[in-house]
Amino acid sequence: MTGFTSVSAALPHRLSDAALTALGAGRPDRATLEELGRARLSRHLLLLREIAATARTDDFAALAAAERAAPRQVRALLARPLFGVWAVGCLTALRAGAAPDQAGVAHLSDLAARALTPHPRRDPGRRLTGDHDGLRITLRLEDTDPLRERLGLKPAPPLTPAELARWQESFDAAWRLLVERMRPDAEVLAAVLDSVIPVRADPAARGISATSVDAFGAVAMSEPADPAAFAVGLLHEAQHSILNAVQYLFDLLEAPDTLGYSPWRDDPRPASGILHGAYAYLTVARFRRTGRDDPLARFEFARWRAAVAAAADGLRGLTPAGERFVGALRAEVRPWLDEPVPADVRRLAEGANRDHHLRWRLRHLHVEPADKAALARAWRRGERPPTVTPILRRAPRRALEASPRLDLAHRLLRGLPLEGSAGDVAYVRGDEATALSAYRRNPGEVTAWAGMLLTSGLSAAPEIAAAAYQVLRGEDPDPLAIIRWLS
Amino acid sequence: MDGRTSTIGATPEWRSAMIDVSGLSLTELAADAEADLPDESPLAHCLRRLAGDLAHPGEPIAGFNSAL
Repeated sequence: MTGFTSVSAALPHRLSDAALTALGAGRPDRATLEELGRARLSRHLLLLREIAATARTDDFAALAAAERAAPRQVRALLARPLFGVWAVGCLTALRAGAAPDQAGVAHLSDLAARALTPHPRRDPGRRLTGDHDGLRITLRLEDTDPLRERLGLKPAPPLTPAELARWQESFDAAWRLLVERMRPDAEVLAAVLDSVIPVRADPAARGISATSVDAFGAVAMSEPADPAAFAVGLLHEAQHSILNAVQYLFDLLEAPDTLGYSPWRDDPRPASGILHGAYAYLTVARFRRTGRDDPLARFEFARWRAAVAAAADGLRGLTPAGERFVGALRAEVRPWLDEPVPADVRRLAEGANRDHHLRWRLRHLHVEPADKAALARAWRRGERPPTVTPILRRAPRRALEASPRLDLAHRLLRGLPLEGSAGDVAYVRGDEATALSAYRRNPGEVTAWAGMLLTSGLSAAPEIAAAAYQVLRGEDPDPLAIIRWLS
Repeated sequence: MDGRTSTIGATPEWRSAMIDVSGLSLTELAADAEADLPDESPLAHCLRRLAGDLAHPGEPIAGFNSAL
């Protein structure tokens, strides 16, 4: 306790400038993480205060009485990530006009009863534990609480003993990797993470995970494919929790909803999402940086260091706190850009990033009919292309990255046989002339336009080239000539 | 803007608009919960910001795909 006598006398949360920039660099110290933990508890308590003032039932009084008898137990329950999820849901329902019982206010009495349960009868719940080289971590395994359904992904059923053993075995190995390769980051995980919520696998992805803005320290994830995927998933999601906590304290962006390009998603993302992506992939890149003898890890490192740097550089409208935070993020990743990566791996990594951006433009930047007509007129007259400003359209739903060329690059790096279109196979093998020839014959395919730009050495707006071809296709123009005309 | 710097002292410091109530007991926390708050009080500012968070909830940051 800090000795406050009332909420009106409470002081602001604060961070030193060094602490804020260390957070931006993804290297917070323990004291800073403890401050973020206190900030999240403050948030839970303010939500609880609003629930008490709105619902006016006896449940809050029951919890307050339990706290007088068992203060540590009540405080521990209120600090849990899923309490934050419950509190937001309850207060939102109350403000929408729900009665207290419909909003679930009685949960507070349940918490009071749980806190007062004598210790020997208290269910400790299931745990994942890691202990390596003197660094220990214990995570609650939340596989029964109904609140786990609110984290954005479909929860898995309670784990069987065999499944639990598999998760624990993988976690052991992941923890060893983390402690041996990047101990300071492992220390951050041990301080930030509270629980893991197993979720159902997505057949379209090798592994999925999520973090809720209301559940600091909780990671929802499908069973990881291997220990490295487990380690990367934990690093990635912990960054989301940390950034959520920082953004509770300080606005980092003046216009967080402005849509733009994110290297990690196929849909247009708000600036806040792009910052989240850059911050999460900062530690993913740091992890891949440690896999120096593995071509796949080098590829991932080369890809994400460049993507993080580009995304951070592209953020506009930073607040003063945002300037300090993002500036530190940039300074952390910039030296990595000069680190050597084998030339063939670098070519594939830079190509994968450019390919993603080209396909994103082709999917989401639209050329108006009048501009298409102006393009066709200028082409037919042999004039210079007119100025055209494509319009970004919001995607109807979120999308995950999927690319046959990227899959082929992964197969090549794994040493697996290549099966795919002639153009894509030639492209990943580095035979750009053959690839260009194949793409040039398929201008009806969106990915062929990205392929032509990847292999032609030309630079043009892909969505404008494809739009011009669309209106001229009855005249059978050479798609490469259109790209050259626009370059 | 939420987030002010203070350059008083050796190192600059960022002060949040959000107040630290983590050390309060529940009884202390709710002592004046039903009283009217002055609009400009730090608590009122905090609660408005919190209400804004609830009214415009961020999506869960879902969909991380471990491609390897």
